[in-house]
Amino acid sequence: MKHSIARQVGWRAFTAVATLAVAPAIACAADGTAPPNGRIAYVTTDMYWGVYQTPDGKAECPDGLNKYGPREVFAKLYPKGGTEIDTHLAREALKYYPEDSKDNFPMPEARGPIAIGLNLDGKVGPNDFTSPTGEKGIDNALYRVIGCSPQFRGPEGQFRLFGNRLVRQLTYNRSMIELTGVDSLQNDDSVQVTILRGLDPLLTDAGGDKIMPGGTQRVDNRFSKRFYNQLQGKIVNGVLETEAKDVSWPWAVFFGNTNEYRFRGMQFRLQLTEGRAEGLMAGYADVDSYYRTVMGWSTHHLSYGQLDPSGFWRKLWQHADGYPDKNGKMTAISSSVNIYMAQVYLDRGEPNITVSQSR
Amino acid sequence: MRDLMKGDEGGRRRWIVGGVAAIAALAAVVLLTREPSPPPTAGAPARVRLMTGTQYANSIEYMFGQSIDVGSAFAPLQRVDGLLALNASQVSVTMGQMQDFQRAAVSIASQVMSEGNLDRGVPSHRDALVPCKPAAATEPDDECAATFVRKAGRLLFRRPLSEEKVAELVDSAHRAADSLDDFYGGLQVVLESMLINPQFLLIEDTTEPDPDRRGHRRLDSYGLASRLSFLLWNSVPDEQLLDAAEKGELYTSRGRKREVERMLASPRLESGVRAFFDDMFGFDHFDSLSKDPQKYPTITGATLQDAREQTLRTVVDHLLHKNSDYRDLFTTRSTFISRALGPVYHVGAAPGWSPYELPADSGRAGILTHVSFLTLHAHPARSSATLRGKALREVFLCQKVPPPPPNVDFSAVEDPDSSLKTAREKLEVHRSNPACAGCHKITDPIGLTLENFDGAGQYRTTENGAQIDTSGELDGKSFNDAVGLGEALRNSPALPTCLVKQVYSYATGGSINNRDPMLEIFEQDFAESGYRVVDLLRDIAMSEALSRVVPAPPSKQQLAAPTEEIEILTVSNDTTAGGMIHETAHH
Repeated sequence: MKHSIARQVGWRAFTAVATLAVAPAIACAADGTAPPNGRIAYVTTDMYWGVYQTPDGKAECPDGLNKYGPREVFAKLYPKGGTEIDTHLAREALKYYPEDSKDNFPMPEARGPIAIGLNLDGKVGPNDFTSPTGEKGIDNALYRVIGCSPQFRGPEGQFRLFGNRLVRQLTYNRSMIELTGVDSLQNDDSVQVTILRGLDPLLTDAGGDKIMPGGTQRVDNRFSKRFYNQLQGKIVNGVLETEAKDVSWPWAVFFGNTNEYRFRGMQFRLQLTEGRAEGLMAGYADVDSYYRTVMGWSTHHLSYGQLDPSGFWRKLWQHADGYPDKNGKMTAISSSVNIYMAQVYLDRGEPNITVSQSR
Repeated sequence: MRDLMKGDEGGRRRWIVGGVAAIAALAAVVLLTREPSPPPTAGAPARVRLMTGTQYANSIEYMFGQSIDVGSAFAPLQRVDGLLALNASQVSVTMGQMQDFQRAAVSIASQVMSEGNLDRGVPSHRDALVPCKPAAATEPDDECAATFVRKAGRLLFRRPLSEEKVAELVDSAHRAADSLDDFYGGLQVVLESMLINPQFLLIEDTTEPDPDRRGHRRLDSYGLASRLSFLLWNSVPDEQLLDAAEKGELYTSRGRKREVERMLASPRLESGVRAFFDDMFGFDHFDSLSKDPQKYPTITGATLQDAREQTLRTVVDHLLHKNSDYRDLFTTRSTFISRALGPVYHVGAAPGWSPYELPADSGRAGILTHVSFLTLHAHPARSSATLRGKALREVFLCQKVPPPPPNVDFSAVEDPDSSLKTAREKLEVHRSNPACAGCHKITDPIGLTLENFDGAGQYRTTENGAQIDTSGELDGKSFNDAVGLGEALRNSPALPTCLVKQVYSYATGGSINNRDPMLEIFEQDFAESGYRVVDLLRDIAMSEALSRVVPAPPSKQQLAAPTEEIEILTVSNDTTAGGMIHETAHH
């Protein structure tokens, strides 16, 4: 009759919650009061590639949006059809061996002075953009490649709509950051940012659509170590800015396809509140792995947004602007991701490990 | 020789004196240690109660195991004097309820007799639940059918079946098996009929003449077994308890004590205690409770479900596992937390349920500050000091707060543009209106103290930008916050008095008059035990009053006209099984 509760729930859960419960649970104030124990964590709820858009798209895409996707290219190349090997399978093979492609179908680039992103190299160069808020020297060469592709534009582009939805749906994509050493969410000249990955579904509102702060995520210490990283940062007027580091960021589109993006010199700029962290994750995307990760999407999805693999490969290398190899060939392309996060409690499930337990 | 005779006489005298002294000492011990007889008027009327959904589910689980799915919940019962379990002296069963019972019976009987499907991972229930194998599965087997009917019938009807009834059911099974070419199909038909039989669905107090009180009646042994079982386990008696009833042991002090102690030590006691407090706290309202998703986006169905579970877990842990003082439920910081509750309490939580200590500076302590009480007694989109104050008085102190007058003006409370920012300011209008003040003065000083929690039970210090004043008082005791309110309630003499009344009412299945002489006795014993609920249950279960039958006063229900198609009228004192129930169909 008198069962020990600790025995019923297991020592692991007991210690986890006992640890979780150490700190007072009152939320920190938005006026800069430090979170309890100087720790706060956020989980990613939404992500999409930074594409600056005007309502009609004419300012950034005066040549219109890209018209040549896999279906259109196929129709041009094989108006009379052909054998399965020479047509469908040949094009499918080119998706994975784009170096062999000799296509040269037009793929309009985004122009104009404005782009979303950060000044990654600290310089203001002739090819740099200005941010929508007027910041000069924005490095986002990827925007030139994808800015006029319906695939990446909102609100209905496949990468925008499904890519973002899958961030929420797949626990594989449960990336998180934990800030430690936080004296104030308004201003702190030194905080540590740890990138982690969680294991649990996101906490939704009563309607099941909006992601809410206050959920709990178990930290995956088993399969996710390659994604973990630590960055030094600071908080200025409620905005977190971090140093740049090479990171791998999980962003699968299907469970059978464990995609991740490799960024060189990735840095965060996030507006922090006690419940949310929103802003940019910007860095140089490794071109080869970026292309292959995007190609994790099936050809019919690429067709919906007129993204032809051959043209995309060619443009990525054409605009690559960072991390030259020994021959001077650029291997990475500056890029930016809009990222939205919600405050979360971390459950490490192990004794003697301090957890981020409160906002 | 004479000396010898004298010696013999002296020895005999000494023996006589010694014997008398021993008998006197023994009588003194017996007199001093025996349970005092209850007052002559102690006892409860014989009643018929409709089994609650939880009792039904617990009974099926006990008889056939957890893998039998009872299905969806039954229609809620009518609450009487704060408890669902008290809709007693006259029971109405609506056609809707009958359909629920019929549906459940079909499903349960089908599962019990299922052959299983190993390819789909469904086990064969019949092999485990039918205590014999028929000679052939495609033909009737009266002997095996009789074995099943006797065993299942004894548990379902809480008493042995007469041989006539067994023969009738076996005959039904035979005919059905013949027609279906399936022995188990025949048993399924019979089990179905047993599951909708009033002898199963209605908990009836069967009585017999009381040998200790000429001209009075008491529960018979099986009636007493059911009363004990539904009180302590919220379920049917088990085989052992029915055996004790059959041997008449429940009317020997040793036999009754042995059975009561066994029941108190059983894990099934947890079901009984959960059921009582779920009923007393009115937690059935969680079944239809919802919060405005715009106003409280983090409050989901899972949050509310877990809020109910959190409090029940706290109650069971506090009262049973720790055997702690009932009154400390209102001050304890020990509780449990789940993922769904984490956002409301601002804390992370491991998967499942884990022990949790409410932080000292959280503004919370005791079950009054649980999300369950705070959400249940609030509006969908705002808190309600009045509802909370009313609930506290009615649920925990057994005090009646009258309903508001029909012409009450709610405009000050509901006007969103009002310059009045806090609930205290808004309710001041009611407290200063003589028509409203009478009630608001007894509810609001309590409820306003809980204004630190919004309608979703989330902690706050301001409302509409204004600082919330949480000072209040309960029957002359002042406090500054919800923790203080919990302490004041804990120390209120009415708190244990109310619990005793509710448990005793629950045990007897009907409302108990405040002047019932047993209340004072139980209350005194409860206090002497340090307000241990297990001791209170033992006290009531062992009391002679629990088995005594007294005439029923006329009830409101008896005066009211039936409202639905089927009405099961009040009981007679016929002791034959099933003889108490008369069904009348109304068209």
